Amino acid sequence: MFKTVLIAALLALGSSALAQDAQEIVAAADRVRNPGEPFRTTITFTEYVGGVERDHDTLVVFSKQDPATRQFRNLVQYAEPARDAGKSVLLDGQSLWFFDPASKSSVRISAQQRLVGQAAIGDVLTVNMAVDYAATLLGTETIQDAGRQPRPCWHLDLVHANDQAVYNRIELWVEQGTFHPIKGKFYSDSGRVLKSIYYRNFQEQLGSVRPVEAVIIDAVDTSLATAVSYKDWRAQEIPDNWFQRDYLPRLQIK
Amino acid sequence: MSRSTAVLAALMGVILLAGAARAQQDDLDRIPAAPAAAQAGEPEPGQRIYLEDALTLSSNRGGLPVPQPGPGPVDWQERLLLDLRAERKLGDDVSLVYSGRFNLRAENDLSTPDHEEVVNDLREAYVAWRPSGNVYLDLGRINLKSGVALGFNPTDFFKTRSVVEPLSADPSVQREDRLGTLMARAEYIADGGSVSLAAAPAVTHATPIYGTLDLHSFDPSFDRTNAADRFLIKGNLSLSDDVSPEVLLYREGGRTSYGLNVTDTFGQSIVGYLEWSGSRRADLIGDALAYGRATGTLPPQTPDLPGNGARRFRNEVSAGFSYTTESKITLNLEYHFDQASFTRADWKRWFAPGEAPAGELWYLRDYALDRQEPISRHNAFLRMDWVDALVPDLELTGFIDTDLYDGSSLIQLTASYYLNGDWTLGGQVSANAGGRRSDFGSLPQEFATLWQVTRYF
Repeated sequence: MFKTVLIAALLALGSSALAQDAQEIVAAADRVRNPGEPFRTTITFTEYVGGVERDHDTLVVFSKQDPATRQFRNLVQYAEPARDAGKSVLLDGQSLWFFDPASKSSVRISAQQRLVGQAAIGDVLTVNMAVDYAATLLGTETIQDAGRQPRPCWHLDLVHANDQAVYNRIELWVEQGTFHPIKGKFYSDSGRVLKSIYYRNFQEQLGSVRPVEAVIIDAVDTSLATAVSYKDWRAQEIPDNWFQRDYLPRLQIK
Repeated sequence: MSRSTAVLAALMGVILLAGAARAQQDDLDRIPAAPAAAQAGEPEPGQRIYLEDALTLSSNRGGLPVPQPGPGPVDWQERLLLDLRAERKLGDDVSLVYSGRFNLRAENDLSTPDHEEVVNDLREAYVAWRPSGNVYLDLGRINLKSGVALGFNPTDFFKTRSVVEPLSADPSVQREDRLGTLMARAEYIADGGSVSLAAAPAVTHATPIYGTLDLHSFDPSFDRTNAADRFLIKGNLSLSDDVSPEVLLYREGGRTSYGLNVTDTFGQSIVGYLEWSGSRRADLIGDALAYGRATGTLPPQTPDLPGNGARRFRNEVSAGFSYTTESKITLNLEYHFDQASFTRADWKRWFAPGEAPAGELWYLRDYALDRQEPISRHNAFLRMDWVDALVPDLELTGFIDTDLYDGSSLIQLTASYYLNGDWTLGGQVSANAGGRRSDFGSLPQEFATLWQVTRYF
């Protein structure tokens, strides 16, 4: 009996340690993707249909970590295409608002509605996964990165841990040693794969080596792929009152 | 485990691994080889310019139960419009904002040439100044919009008389072409809430309701927006991450109105909202007749119609929720209540022969439309917005506005195809459906189609 209890306790400890390690790996990968200080960056989305470039959107994202939740508060404004110029989105925990300067109206949106449109991608790219998801280490695996180079990775399974989590489940591959995120697979509530993301082109930005490009492969529309490119990273003081719905009409990107 | 089971399990494992490897290979094959395209040029922030051509074709009803005096709806209309919204920084904390639309139009009831063929809408022109970190001051013509609902906004106090010649009956689209109000506005935005004050002076007097044939060509139309002194105070407070109600206090022409906006989320896909306003006022019929007499449209001796015209506290409510599916469809379902609008008895009288001159009866409906107030007391509103519908870059929007007294409806469906970042093609069909003696079934326009081409710059 004592042996059984001891083995069970050791297994539990081992499992807990693995879970702890998994959570730390995800947190380290989060730090690679996201600067610790408030910042703004310009993101260009280039959409490919059947491998042919069709369109591109440009967004400016203002991002700041909430010390209470450790999650990022984001303000996003469309710069392109011209028909969407000036539209802004507040993505701050449960407070999600969309502002259209043409109608001067702010509309509250749901977590599901935020996934409609490119602003959601900008938001998801800055999400701190370690905060909203419980990670399990599935093992190690060598996968090909976006440039088809082999990368020895930790393979992690992330399950949503609170209501803030946009996706029900994420599979994440993080390079061993560098903690660079290499690939992610994002699942809907119904268990369907929605998209895969490959991170590439790692460069020194705001004090650390970070991916400045990502490629999003749409799993629902298999002809669709989106290349995401970050530029113009800037550390910037962002007052807390910017994260108010009434600030959206005041947001200026110049 | 038997040998055969073990072999089967191993085989399945191999198949799954092979499947996973194949899936990754498929993903890698879809990764574009070249890096993302470089920016062609830096976009101008806060600016949107587009040129649009819109052709409307209508079919109208004959034999209306209450004949409409004067010209009815057009059979066709062709519009070419240049729409500009721009913002220029004059200094670190000072900006100039302009928004307007220049229209050229031709329609079957306009002779050529006619000044009515040219209409310029000055929507906004104001200076925005930030004297300190949290304080903002604006001065000029400002489009101040309030409310959280889509189909009817009881707290959008500056909506009255502001919509000019809309191309769509969709309330969400109508907000895009409405005139702002000449005002001074101060706003304080703090972390956790905001408060704003707006004061709009009367600079001219009230004028009759405009028809399509008496619009001004080049005129700011302050008679639509600044015919009375108007004041608004509104503020919101974040009670939690999820709930931040907004309260409003509005005064115009001796009438004080109170308002409330509340939203909340339910799970990942639903947002619920409630918009309410209340004021002590006459009903729509009483207000309309008083306005008609004051502006000379109706003779001074026009008698009151029987009804519920006494001044008392009346409520307006818009309550509903939005639901978004995984396939990018957002549905909004709302209930609209306006205690000042027509009751079932009012409708009965409206259709009764000889109740009042037809011109007076239609004036009531024109007044409600001009003020963007529902004509009927109880309405249901369902709106759908489907992004990437069936094919990428096709957006379908549609709505049904139903009078709950008689079941008649205004139905509209719009398709917009975003050909690329610069061009959009659009088509729209709308119908006023219902029995002859119903709210929407008694309107002269039965069916309309709209074809649009838009070029953004």
